[in-house]
Amino acid sequence: MRKIENRVVEMFRKVGWAAYLAGLENSHSGNMSVRVGNRVLITRRGSMLGFLKEEDIVEIGLYEDDSGISLASSESGVHRAIYRGTDALAILHAHTINAVVLSLVYDEIIPIDVEGSYVTKRVPVLEFEFGSGSKEMEEVLPRYLKDYNIVMVKGHGAFSIGETLEEALFYCHSLENSSKIILGVASMGKDPMEYIPNTLKEW
Amino acid sequence: MYGYWGRLLEVDLESRTAKERSISQDVLYKFLGGRGFAVYLYTQYVPELNVDPLSPQNPIILATGPLTGTQTPTAGRATITMRSPLTGTIFTGNAGGIFGALMKFTGYDALVITGSSEQPVYLYVSDEGIEIKSAEDLWGKSTKEVTKLLKDRHSRASAVLTIGVGGERGVLFSSVLVDGERGFGRGGVGAVWGAKKLKAIVVKGRKKVTVADMERFKQVLYEADKSIKQSPLTSKALPSMGTSYTMDIAYNAGALPIKNFSQTEFEGLEKVDSKGLKEGPFIRATACWGCPIRCGRISRDSDGNIGEGPEYETMWALGPNLGIDDIFFITKMNHLCNEYGIDTISTGGVLAFAMEVTERGIRDYGLSFGKKDGLIKAIEEIAKREGKGEELALGTRRLAERIGGNVKEFAMNVKGLELPAYDPRGAKGMAVGYATSNRGGCHLHSGYTVSSELFGLPKRVDPLMSTGKATLAAKRQDDSAAEDSLIVCRFAGIAITMSMWSRLLSAVVGEKFTADDLSVAGERIHNLERLINLKLGFDRKDDTLPGRLLREGEGDRKIDLEPMLEEYYSFRGWDENGVPTKEKIIELGLEGLV
Repeated sequence: MRKIENRVVEMFRKVGWAAYLAGLENSHSGNMSVRVGNRVLITRRGSMLGFLKEEDIVEIGLYEDDSGISLASSESGVHRAIYRGTDALAILHAHTINAVVLSLVYDEIIPIDVEGSYVTKRVPVLEFEFGSGSKEMEEVLPRYLKDYNIVMVKGHGAFSIGETLEEALFYCHSLENSSKIILGVASMGKDPMEYIPNTLKEW
Repeated sequence: MYGYWGRLLEVDLESRTAKERSISQDVLYKFLGGRGFAVYLYTQYVPELNVDPLSPQNPIILATGPLTGTQTPTAGRATITMRSPLTGTIFTGNAGGIFGALMKFTGYDALVITGSSEQPVYLYVSDEGIEIKSAEDLWGKSTKEVTKLLKDRHSRASAVLTIGVGGERGVLFSSVLVDGERGFGRGGVGAVWGAKKLKAIVVKGRKKVTVADMERFKQVLYEADKSIKQSPLTSKALPSMGTSYTMDIAYNAGALPIKNFSQTEFEGLEKVDSKGLKEGPFIRATACWGCPIRCGRISRDSDGNIGEGPEYETMWALGPNLGIDDIFFITKMNHLCNEYGIDTISTGGVLAFAMEVTERGIRDYGLSFGKKDGLIKAIEEIAKREGKGEELALGTRRLAERIGGNVKEFAMNVKGLELPAYDPRGAKGMAVGYATSNRGGCHLHSGYTVSSELFGLPKRVDPLMSTGKATLAAKRQDDSAAEDSLIVCRFAGIAITMSMWSRLLSAVVGEKFTADDLSVAGERIHNLERLINLKLGFDRKDDTLPGRLLREGEGDRKIDLEPMLEEYYSFRGWDENGVPTKEKIIELGLEGLV
C-alpha cells in the first residue's frame, strides 16, 4: 500500500468537511473515493467524513481484493462496480436528507429550480431490497450512472460521480438544494410538479 | 446513410488518376469519422505501417466527420492524418475555417492522396468530381498569395488548403493553412505535401448533409446553444479575448514556461497578455464556419500588415518563451510563419533552443533571449532552409542530436514535437499527458488536464497533486479523440458535454449513440494510434519528458513521472511496458488491424 500524497488527503478532507457542513452527511454516514489507474482510494469504514485523517483513506484494488478491503467502506463493492461500469473517476455517496424524503414519495426527482434543472436534470430513484452495499446495487447503479451524474437510492441517499471529487460533491449539493426547494413549494400547499421547467419535460 | 456519404475519393498523384471507394457503415460507426476514421484508413493504405514519411507511400488522409457540415456548432473542421516526418509517429490534426464543411459538401467523407507528382500540382474538388491541375505558377508563393490566386481563379465561395515555402522546402515542422489563416499546424504535414509536389487543394461543394431526425436535432441544438451562452468561457472570455486570457492565468499558476522552460518569472507579461493584445494589435474577432464562439483574432502587426492571430500558443511560443514582450512584433512573427507555412509553436521552440545553445556558448546562432535582432531573418531562413535555417528546420530533437553533448536536456520536445505553452511542473497532469500523447508534445492530445487544474472545468483539481492525474489525462485523451472524430472544436467541448454530443450524433445519423459509446470509440482510436506507434518503434522509453522537466523542479514542482506512467498504463489496461494487452485489443475490436 503506497503512501498517500498529502494533497490527496487535503482533497478528501475538503470535500468531506464541505459535505458534513452542508448537512449532506451525519456524523458517520457516507463515503467517497477516487480512481487511480486500476486502484481506488476510498474512505475507511465508519470514518467521519467531516473530520478525515490520513489513515481514514484506504487503497484497494479495482479488480482484485487485497488487505485494504478489510478497512474500506462497506460500500466499496458498489464503488468498484461503478468504476468498472462507467467512466467515473470520483464517487461521493451522501445521505442527502431532503432528497431522501422525496425518494420515499417519488420515482424520480425533477428539480424545479434553475440550477438543478441545468446541473442534475432528472434524477432517478432506485429501490432495492437491500439498499446498502448490496450485490443488486452493484449491478444496477453502474447502468444508471452511465446516463446520469447522480442517482438516488430510495430511503438511503445519493450516489454521484464526476471526474473529480469536487464535481461529485457539487451534484449531491445541487440535488439537496433542489429537494429543499421542492419541499418548500409543497409546504406552501402547491404541487411542485406544476413547476417543472419545459426543458426537463422531454429531457 | 445519414450524416455520412459512405464514400471516399482516392487520388494517386503519380498516375494522375482518381477513383471512388465506398465505406461501410460499420467502420464509420466504429471509428466515428475524422481522426478515428483517418487513422483506420492509414492501416488500410499502409498495412506495413512503417513508411518513410517523405516518400510517395505516405498517404495524406483528409477526413470529415458525421457532424461536419450540419448546424452543429463548430462543425466546419477537417482532419489531416499521415506519418509525421518530425516525430515519426502516426500524426493527426484538425483545423478550423470552412474547409471541412465545403469538403463534406462535395459528397465525400474523406480524400486519400497517394503517390507523388513530378511537377507541382493542386487539386480542385467539387461535387462534380476532381481535377489535378498544374501548380507551376503557385510554387514559391506564400499561403496568402496562393489562397487569393486560387479563389480568384475558381470561386470566392471555395476554400483553399495550401502549403507555403516551408512545406515546399521540406521544413520538418511546416504546416498547411486553411485560406491562409488557420493552420494544420503541427507535425510537418506541409513537408509531406511538399515532398509530393502538392501545393494546394481547393474545395467547393454544394451537396447538403442530411439529418435523420431534424426535430430531435434542433432540440439538442437549442440545448447546446444555451450551454455555450451560459458558460463564461465560451460566452465571454473566448469571444472577447480569444485564447489569450490563458496567459496570465497560466503565469499566476507557475505554469507558463519562460525562456525555453528555464524560468517562471517574466517582467513583460502584462505587455503580452490578453490586455496587451486587446489594446495593441487586436482589430476585431472572427470565427470559423458554424461557430458562435468567435475566438479568432484579426490583428495588425508592427509592419501594419493585417492577418489572423495571434492566439495563446503563438503569443507564448514567440513571446515569453523567447523573452520577447513586444506584442506587435510577436504578431508580425506569427503572420510571417503563416505566410511561409511553418508551425508557430515548433518555430518558437526551436528558436528558444537556439537562444539557449547560443547563450551557453555551445554554438552561435546569433540569437539571444529578449532580443528581437535576428528573429525575422531566422524565421525566413528556417522557411527557406538557408543559412542557419538549414539546421533549425530540423526541429529541436534532430538539432540536439546533431549538436550532441547534453543539449538534449533542454531540447523541449516529446517524441520530437516541440512542447506547447504549459509547464507541467505547474500543472502535473500535463506531465503524463505530454509523455503519453500519441503525437508527442502536444496539449490537444495530452488530455488537457489544465482545464480542471487551471480553469476548474468542470470543477477544479489541485494542479500540483500527482495522484489520479494520469487517470484523468487518459480519460480526457479518449474523450478528445472522440471529439476529434466527430469533428468538433475543443472550445465547444467546454460547454457541450459528451452526453450532448452523443445526442447530436444520434439525431444526425439516426442510430442511438450514448456518451459511453463515444468514450469507448475514443479509447479505441487512442489505442489504435498507440498500436501503430508501437509498430513504428515507439515504446515506454519514449513516454518521457525532456530532462529539464524531470530534473529541474524543486518541492511541489518536482515531477515524478514513473508512478504516473504506472497509473496511466494500469488505467488503460496496458502491460507494464505500455503495450495494450490482447484482452484490451479484443475488447475494443482492434484485432487484426495492426
